[in-house]
Amino acid sequence: MFFNSLSFAIFLPIVFVLYWFVFNKNKSTQNAILIIASYYFYSCWDWRFLFLLVFSTFLDYYTGIQIEKAKKDGVRKFWFWLSITINLGFLGVFKYYNFFADSFSTMLNGFGLQTSPLLLNVILPVGISFYTFHGLSYVIDIYLKRIKAEYNFIDYSLFVSYFPLLVAGPIERATHLLPQVKVKRNFDFQKAKEGVFQFTWGLVKKVVIADTCATYANAIFDNHESMNSLSLALGAVYFAFQIYGDFSGYSDMALGMSKLFGIDLLRNFNYPYFSRDIAEFWRRWHISLSSWFRDYLYIPLGGSNGGMPMKIRNTFIIFLVSGFWHGANWTFIAWGFINALYFLPLLLLKTNRSNMEMVSLSWNFSSVRVFFNILSTFALTCLAWIFFRAKSIGDAFDYIKRLFTDLSFDSQYLENERYNYELVLLIFAFIAVEWNFKHQVEPISGKNSWLKLSFCLIAIVALGTFSDYKEFIYFQF
Amino acid sequence: MKKFLGFFAKITVILVLTLALLDVLYTVVYLQASNRGKIDYVYNSKPRIYDVVILGSSRANNHFVTHLFEEKGLKAFNYGMSGGHLFEASLMLKLMIEREYKIKNVIVEADLNLSNEKRAEGIASKFLPYIHSSKVVENHFSKEDDFSKLYYIPFYRYLKFDASIGFREMYKCLTFQPTNTLNNGGFYALKGNKGKMKNDIRALKPIKNKYYEEIKQICAANKINLIAVMTPMCSNTKGLDYFEKVNAIYPEIHNYESVVTDDHYFSSCGHLNDKGATLFTTRIIEDFFN
Repeated sequence: MFFNSLSFAIFLPIVFVLYWFVFNKNKSTQNAILIIASYYFYSCWDWRFLFLLVFSTFLDYYTGIQIEKAKKDGVRKFWFWLSITINLGFLGVFKYYNFFADSFSTMLNGFGLQTSPLLLNVILPVGISFYTFHGLSYVIDIYLKRIKAEYNFIDYSLFVSYFPLLVAGPIERATHLLPQVKVKRNFDFQKAKEGVFQFTWGLVKKVVIADTCATYANAIFDNHESMNSLSLALGAVYFAFQIYGDFSGYSDMALGMSKLFGIDLLRNFNYPYFSRDIAEFWRRWHISLSSWFRDYLYIPLGGSNGGMPMKIRNTFIIFLVSGFWHGANWTFIAWGFINALYFLPLLLLKTNRSNMEMVSLSWNFSSVRVFFNILSTFALTCLAWIFFRAKSIGDAFDYIKRLFTDLSFDSQYLENERYNYELVLLIFAFIAVEWNFKHQVEPISGKNSWLKLSFCLIAIVALGTFSDYKEFIYFQF
Repeated sequence: MKKFLGFFAKITVILVLTLALLDVLYTVVYLQASNRGKIDYVYNSKPRIYDVVILGSSRANNHFVTHLFEEKGLKAFNYGMSGGHLFEASLMLKLMIEREYKIKNVIVEADLNLSNEKRAEGIASKFLPYIHSSKVVENHFSKEDDFSKLYYIPFYRYLKFDASIGFREMYKCLTFQPTNTLNNGGFYALKGNKGKMKNDIRALKPIKNKYYEEIKQICAANKINLIAVMTPMCSNTKGLDYFEKVNAIYPEIHNYESVVTDDHYFSSCGHLNDKGATLFTTRIIEDFFN
């Protein structure tokens, strides 16, 4: 059941009505209906993995309490490492086992030892990377005594399994979400209205931008060996907007619908393609994951405290781990590595925190430089996305090689029976809207909101891609 | 909460109005178009007179060279549609009758497409703009599972089939951008030879196909001479006895599967190239129009 499906359009209003009209007595009944809805929502993918979700929830709930109760440090450590090992073990088995087995076998074959890897025939449970990270952050925070353990299982389950964020984030923190589920939520019209606006804008990003770009990006990436430079350049740009529209659209829908239940989730995107350097891009892209890695990996590794060599080492570690988090493929690791390389000059020049505020442009010379910085950052990002999207490292290098050597810029008719340039106008229109409203969470609220909402509805209906359905990219992670 | 319910009701009204207005707009545009494809070319036409009309899938579209009929003094048009099934071929013929076409002969390619009665979504959808303005289209779709949604929910058909009748296609109709579908009397020639010539059709089983039956009935009712033919496959096809099975059900379908065998004449295993199509059409003309 996807957020942009007909079944979800039925599911969400039913949950809304039950939540506010039937189960609105106290926070326990509110949480209970949200838990039931969340488990139902999750079981729509594959009910068997519901057991995994419940087990993972119970594991972190129980170990959290045991860590807090433990009087001896050794006992605390035992429960802590038990939770970490099991959580990462699940992730390892379901997500990474085949990758490691296959890579190891390939390496042995390289040394002349003929082996065939023993691969597991399992599908990746949807959202496992997200709910595992929820649980990990919770257990780590208790272990580091940043938070108290949660003794109410329903409340804790809701923190892990809340359906708007269950399958693709944002990756919530116990410090942010748990306090909200510990109190009864009262209906707030303004918040609900903002929620509807944000959900609608998320839907525009998904069905109008992402899914439309996907048909072109797929046609170009899947046939890159016969594409010219113009098509390949456009293919990278289309994929950049596909993944942005897809994931930030999903996040907007999650945040928007959550507001309907009176719960605020962490913001996940903040107009990343208007970034002036890669450091700024990573402060604006998938914010909940970046900050997770910062707090639970970069800082524990020593962060920026140990001098330049340690900073560089830690930066490479978090980018490589971040790449690997996305998927068990060398392409994701290469993508992480490239981003670390982009980051390196900023780190060495100590300019990685120079663009903290939202960009603005005016008619002067310094704005030309800012504009150039935005364009060059976007171009670098697109180049890295090629690795993210390609089926293999070899394909990515072939793609880039052709991009820079073919040097033909004619229009090309693609496999999807469309010309390569056809989406350029739509992309420019989208950029113009985002630029104009970059100081807001979404562009609909504010002046003329009804007019803007109507335009969005028309855009969804008239320009959306519905027949060639694309599931959310981040569901596979 | 009352305020929110009012707010939500307003959005619902806007959405319904949007759907209704867009439905009207798109439909009006499609009702004016006649140069985008074979379906609108027929739908938005005045009565025509043909000696030969060709119907079927790509194995008709790429195999019957229209100008060879014309050279013989026969007014012909190839209405074969790539990707189409007999569901669409039957509806196309019904539309022609509704438009009062005078047709002497219908050649229908009836072979692999006899194995199913499903509609081909990409082609069938192109009839949907006319579902409210043509009784023939309405009736033809009336037994489909999603008929109620397609017929009663405004704009649903344009949403569901946005790739074929969505905004992009509507815009191209609105701006009168022609396609090459109607060139060469509807015949689309395939060039060259794509290499590997093999196919496996063992999974296909011919059935008593209701849309083929419809075509037979329409032709009989309108005194049209029906020529049903099976067209060539490359020799390296597993399950070529399929064509004999077709004849067991329908003895009247002429088996031309093996009249062209050399791979040189095929673009792909199921499709003749331009040279093969010329050879094949010449044989058909010799056999039926001499």
